[in-house]
Amino acid sequence: MINLLSPIQYIFIAAIVLYILDSVWEVGSLFRPGTFSKRLSNYFILTGLSFHCAFLIVVSIRSGTLPITTLFESSTFYLSLIVLLSVILKFLYRLQALTPFVMPIVTGFSIASIALIRNDLALTYNLKTFWLFAHIIPLFLGYASFTVSFIFSIMYLTQERQLKKKSFGPLFESLPSLETLDALMWKTITLGFPLLTIGLVSGTVWAKTSNILGLLWYLDPKVTLGALTWLIYAAILHLRLGASFHGTRVAIVTIAGFVIVILTFIGPFLMGHKHGYDKGSVKLEQEIEPEPPGIEKVKS
Amino acid sequence: MNLHTVGLNHDSAPVEIREKIAFSASSVPIALSSFTQSFPLSEAVILSTCNRVEIYATSPDNTLSKEALLDFFSAFHGLPKEKFADHMYHHQDMNAVRHLFFVASSLNSGVLGETQIISQVKEAYMTATAAETTGSILNQLFQRSLNVAKDVHTKTSIGKGNISVSTVAVDLAIKVFKDFSDKTIFIIGAGEMCELVLKHLVERGAKTAIVANRNYDKAKSLAEEYDGKAINYENLDDYLPQADIVISSTASPRPVIHTEHIKSAIKARRGNPMLLIDIAVPRDIDSQVAKIDNVYLYNIDDLQTVANNNAKDRKKDIGNCVVIIDNEVEKFMAWFEELKIGPAIAQLRNHFHEIGEQELERLRPKLGEIAHEEWEHIVYSMQRTLNKILHKPAKVGKEKAKNGGGYQYVETIKHLFGIHHKDETKK
Repeated sequence: MINLLSPIQYIFIAAIVLYILDSVWEVGSLFRPGTFSKRLSNYFILTGLSFHCAFLIVVSIRSGTLPITTLFESSTFYLSLIVLLSVILKFLYRLQALTPFVMPIVTGFSIASIALIRNDLALTYNLKTFWLFAHIIPLFLGYASFTVSFIFSIMYLTQERQLKKKSFGPLFESLPSLETLDALMWKTITLGFPLLTIGLVSGTVWAKTSNILGLLWYLDPKVTLGALTWLIYAAILHLRLGASFHGTRVAIVTIAGFVIVILTFIGPFLMGHKHGYDKGSVKLEQEIEPEPPGIEKVKS
Repeated sequence: MNLHTVGLNHDSAPVEIREKIAFSASSVPIALSSFTQSFPLSEAVILSTCNRVEIYATSPDNTLSKEALLDFFSAFHGLPKEKFADHMYHHQDMNAVRHLFFVASSLNSGVLGETQIISQVKEAYMTATAAETTGSILNQLFQRSLNVAKDVHTKTSIGKGNISVSTVAVDLAIKVFKDFSDKTIFIIGAGEMCELVLKHLVERGAKTAIVANRNYDKAKSLAEEYDGKAINYENLDDYLPQADIVISSTASPRPVIHTEHIKSAIKARRGNPMLLIDIAVPRDIDSQVAKIDNVYLYNIDDLQTVANNNAKDRKKDIGNCVVIIDNEVEKFMAWFEELKIGPAIAQLRNHFHEIGEQELERLRPKLGEIAHEEWEHIVYSMQRTLNKILHKPAKVGKEKAKNGGGYQYVETIKHLFGIHHKDETKK
């Protein structure tokens, strides 16, 4: 399959190779900082991310729109935003322990996404409208943000478990305090939530005005799951702000929220539903995801 | 040209001897200048801390020896040699270098991996520099020792992980809380250990402390010292919800904090984590408390285990430290021998040319009347021959010195040609 890749796709392969190296170095530097230098891992992640972005830029220029015209493109777009956000947080908060958790996951998903390269499901409708940008960019940024908050909750639970079990190994040393992780978890959720809201609202407007999802657009699985995601994160915000809901429990619900994010993203596709993505050959009168009507009501 | 160190430390001498041999900060410059008056060409550094007193000295004229240095100590402190000589160790050349690198890297310290010794070595060196008793050799040696110490500390875990119970408690606290400035520290039982932990936390930014003690006055005095608030021991439970960190060490035979107390405290805190440190024996906090969500409870054994493990980890890394040190000792000795090889080669050259001149003097009268020019040819030819013979040994000597084998090589050559060194004749 590899030999069927286009030259542009090799740029992405190069990014994956660097991500693999980075994952090894990031995890290695937790346990053997002497052998796996942090400087080298910074180099790997930044070069990997550059290749990744270069790939997406080339793809965008060629298609004239965001890199979301195929499921493969949108997956890699989503992954690049996660890496970007992690790198920003890593340097902003001097968080050495974040990327060792992020990169193996991103690398795994990147490798898995290669399987989608030849998948010819594609968006077939008008992809150059303002609504596409207003819908996709906030949503993807929101999803990336939730993904990182999911990573923080994994880190929180790991650290919390080590504190409870009194196992103070190298991982314990590398991970920041519970309070720090809790704060970052909270920050990324509060960053993701408004973005998700904007994305869903613009999607709703788009679906209603263009009719691209048909009359029963609100029954579309992606729309429904999007609404569910919104509800879950709204619940997290509400609980944390209002009730006795700190630490461990927030972490667990954040993980649940992320599972829904992933389901929204690839679930409909796995179930054979086309929502948004369709056989390029068959012109259907649909694309792109919008969201749920219920949502605005909940919000208010 | 030899390098000597003579001294004593906490292993070799009891404090009664150490305090007699020690130099106060103000007497070090005086001692140094009196030393260089006795040995005018020498370089010297004195390292005097509460754990060790050592002098490092080198002189190009080989006037230094263990005895000479012991005499110096004896004369300066006005103490008969017999009183302390048995406690003094002496290292020479490579062993002296290795000793200093060990000392600076804290491998020779009572507390393995402590960093204070680095600044003490640095200060000893600075004092000697200020007193102008260091030269090219000790400058090089001490600068390298500081670099080695830094290297050892960054590349190994010799200084990692705290090894005292009170600092381990702080280590745990920083894994629960980001910073302590907005946290409340609740001290129950105003014991020494509690105070020590509180002191460390305050150093890390903690500002609010509450102290409860059966003896209210004692609580009050501790609280005042740290700008805290003393409360009545009976009201302890009322203050628990405010406490982010509880440090308890009462003399109570039964637990003073029970599960219900903490459960209701956590509820009132809306799930904000609590760190409970119980350093009392018998324990003050019911062990069941550990099962409550967002509560982290550690007793004295937990802290001790961490401290012991850290100490073990430090010990485990000694091997790696020694590798780094030995490598640097080798590098220093290579430099040192290169320094020594120059004079040695000059000596060899003088020796050969002396022989040549003696032979020429013997030859001159035998030749009778010859032209000045012809005699010049003969002299020139002799010098050329000697220089050609000496060229190779000198070149190899310099190469050997670079690789660290110069000293032995020079000794062999001297031995081979019967060149005697002043210090060798002494031996």
